Amino acid sequence: MSTETHHQPTAKLYVKVAAWLAVITAVEVLLSYMTMPPVVLVISLLLASIVKFVVVVGYFMHLKFDAPKLRMPLLTGLLLALTIYAIVLINMIMHAKYSPS
Amino acid sequence: MSAVTEEAGHATSTGIPNTKMAMWTFLGSECLLFGALLSVYLLYRGNVPSGPTPYEVYDIPFTSVSSFVLLMSSLTMVLAHNAAVHKDIRRMRTWLIATALLGAVFLSGQVYEFTVFVKEGFTVTSSPAGSAFFILTSFHGAHVTIGVLMLLSIVGFSARGVDRVNKPEVVEYVGLYWHFVDIVWIVLFTLVYLIPGPEVGY
Repeated sequence: MSTETHHQPTAKLYVKVAAWLAVITAVEVLLSYMTMPPVVLVISLLLASIVKFVVVVGYFMHLKFDAPKLRMPLLTGLLLALTIYAIVLINMIMHAKYSPS
Repeated sequence: MSAVTEEAGHATSTGIPNTKMAMWTFLGSECLLFGALLSVYLLYRGNVPSGPTPYEVYDIPFTSVSSFVLLMSSLTMVLAHNAAVHKDIRRMRTWLIATALLGAVFLSGQVYEFTVFVKEGFTVTSSPAGSAFFILTSFHGAHVTIGVLMLLSIVGFSARGVDRVNKPEVVEYVGLYWHFVDIVWIVLFTLVYLIPGPEVGY
């Protein structure tokens, strides 16, 4: 989102973007009911989720149109969040006897 | 050399209003909170010594509708901001109320879902998977609740003639928070509900 009118997308574009997001969500749900190899299913669902994430951040949060500097805080947060997951996962694998599964 | 912009009577060396940069930094830090909670859920979702597993109680069609409602609330939020930019205050308030209502519908769905899960024996104390699930989704629900309160505050102040809240910047910052809550749910919906459980190898 941005307050600068010269970069402001139109309401029509927002509606189009929302319609695409709804379509992707419907496809995701359909995929989850289909019979396919788990690897293919997981990769397809993750890709759909990433596309939705990027579209909302880019268009609705206006990061696509705003100053690139604004991307840094979010990217840093996402990178650190992934790092947390990786550290916890590695820790659990290395200490298998404490592993929850 | 960095561009200099004026914000509330003073310059910022980044060319970006300080409040906006602060909001993005806050949202970046929120990634860590949800990243940690989601990590715990993903690592413990298969840990169910007794009682139903999460995948036995999930109602995917119901949660899909809730997800659709929250997704559409992002549309109404961005339309509220668009109206504020065009100084159409009446339309801005209408879209803000619509966003708050959609948020409230989502929260009602979450309360209903929790009630059903508890009745089926999947509770916050039934298993490590249950604890991880309820803590993760409750934190998200708390964020949605705060968002609804912020939206209603803007509408209330605007209706009482407090012009400051009609500024596009104010709607923009609350909108950034609201959209963030939406993107967190986009990730949760896929990773928590849609991706098959450990019993099929994931």
